[in-house]
Amino acid sequence: MIMKLLDRLANPPEGKFHGVMGVFLYVDDAADAVRALRQAGHARLSVISPVPHHEIEHALEQGPSLVRWITFAGGVLGFTCGMSLCIYSVISYPLVVGGKELISIPPFMIPAYESMILLGGLTNLIAMLALGRLPHVQGRAPYDPRFTEDRIGIWVPCGGEEAVKVREMLRGHQAEEVRVHE
Amino acid sequence: MTDNFQTVLAAEDPLATEHVAADMTQKKLNDDLLKMISWPGHVWWTVFIIDLIILAIGGIALRNEIVLGLGVGGWTRPVMWASYITNFVFWVGIAHCGTLVSAVLYLFRSHFRRAVYRVAEAMTVFGVLTAGLFPLIHVGRPWFGYWLIPYPNQRNLWPNFRSPLEWDVFAVTTYLTISSVFFLVGLIPDAAAARDRAKHPLMKLLYQVVSFGWRGTNNNWKHYYGAYIFFAAMATPLVFSVHSVVSWDFAMAQVPGWHSTLFAPYFVAGAIFSGVAMVINLLIPIRKTFKLEHIVTLDHMEKLSKLVLLTSTMVGYSYLTEFFMAWYGPSKLERDLFWYRATGHYWWAFWIMFTCNVIFPLSLWFKPLRRNMRFLFVLCLFVNVGMWFERFVIIVTSLARPIETAATVYYKMSWTEAAVTAGAFAWFFMYFLIFVRVLPAFSIAEIKETLVMPKRRNSA
Repeated sequence: MIMKLLDRLANPPEGKFHGVMGVFLYVDDAADAVRALRQAGHARLSVISPVPHHEIEHALEQGPSLVRWITFAGGVLGFTCGMSLCIYSVISYPLVVGGKELISIPPFMIPAYESMILLGGLTNLIAMLALGRLPHVQGRAPYDPRFTEDRIGIWVPCGGEEAVKVREMLRGHQAEEVRVHE
Repeated sequence: MTDNFQTVLAAEDPLATEHVAADMTQKKLNDDLLKMISWPGHVWWTVFIIDLIILAIGGIALRNEIVLGLGVGGWTRPVMWASYITNFVFWVGIAHCGTLVSAVLYLFRSHFRRAVYRVAEAMTVFGVLTAGLFPLIHVGRPWFGYWLIPYPNQRNLWPNFRSPLEWDVFAVTTYLTISSVFFLVGLIPDAAAARDRAKHPLMKLLYQVVSFGWRGTNNNWKHYYGAYIFFAAMATPLVFSVHSVVSWDFAMAQVPGWHSTLFAPYFVAGAIFSGVAMVINLLIPIRKTFKLEHIVTLDHMEKLSKLVLLTSTMVGYSYLTEFFMAWYGPSKLERDLFWYRATGHYWWAFWIMFTCNVIFPLSLWFKPLRRNMRFLFVLCLFVNVGMWFERFVIIVTSLARPIETAATVYYKMSWTEAAVTAGAFAWFFMYFLIFVRVLPAFSIAEIKETLVMPKRRNSA
């Protein structure tokens, strides 16, 4: 009973997919296929690979990730919160310690700096997960365990006549396997 | 223009592939590294049970101290920061190397880190978890540990943000959080590779959770490396700031032997020194046991040993500078203290420190010794002993001989403190032993990036 439950949690049922999946061994074949598919108007394709490949990234013409701006905002927020907390604490309960000024900026810089890194790091994580659409509970494309080993998958969401054309295109670019999901 | 630092790096820099065996394939790499994740054998269980026994002894000693009071420790006024704070600084130091190897060397494009950084990162996380125990143990009533954290309360009381002890709370908690996040983010693609091979549903579920259901799509990779470089960029100043803040626990106090601007760089160099030595001590048995000499090569180990040599010279320079400044400076108290360190009650501790940290590592100038794993293992054990004694010397000698020299005392470690200290080592190794059997201990994805990728045009 427990094992069944675990098994179900570990292997969530895959959704129904409509499109064509091509499996490649050679990186240059996959990059050529991506270029050809994009020229044919298939902009929504996705590439699944064990490591990122420079050639494929170029073929996909991906822009820079937006993570950096969210991280920057998190860092600024962290610094502001850290410094505000220090200043608020001495204003709300004024207590002179060691003859220092109540609002002593140099020592307050340290909690503010650490808070900047803490919030910057956490927002960086949240941004990576949100923009990368993680956690991935239900797949948006069929998956094959070989994609974490040595194979590259190209998934093109399409159907009908278009799927036949894509299948031929992938075969033409030396895909090892081509599967049509209808 | 892509922001994928990692792939640009591999494409543009031929040095990226210099450490990888020519016959290594992507699939073989998965096979070799994921075979570590299996049901452990007799040796592992024996070591693990011994570890748990030592941990239990430490736990009993700690229970004794909590029930009977801090008096069971060997502290004698004014030596109130004795072995527990020595242990705290030692473990924070150990924890430092992981982030150095994973973040700093990542930014400096040092490719040898790929084969060793996961072990170093795990060591960081477990090191901080061990270090964090000691301030709580040291305050005597660990259940009030949350008083250290600033939180709104009915009396509107806040911690003193001008105190280095409060800076430490911020620094250590931030370091634990960021290094844990960095470690877990690095694991994501490798946990997915482990998930795809796992047979047992429980293990499969574990890897599914750790990998966040990673698929390796172009969108996943784009934001993954987009974020990874920022983790590295944020962790790098953290490496230098955290141990600087720990050093200010001492340097802000007007105690002879502590009140010095040298402390921050001196502590950071010492932390990296002991941390790299510990990484070597962990890597040598792992690569031998799991037959991974072709992945963690002699070149990798030699580069780590060069880091040990470099930081040893920095630490040695700091020791000599301390003595020079005491001699050259105006304070007689400072001069007396340093003379006392080398020749007083604790002369043995000082000379253990100096020999292990400065004299022995000089042997690493010789290449055959850098590439001799047995020698390197023993040397790094000595370095760790020396670095523990460094913290002991700094803390105990300065406190045992205060400004009012009539109050000089001789501190002796009690059995309770010794048992808790041993228990801390067992606590650290317990995590590590579980880690090497459950999670991928080497970065499959990053090592894979250094392989020559199959290309039809090349093969044609």
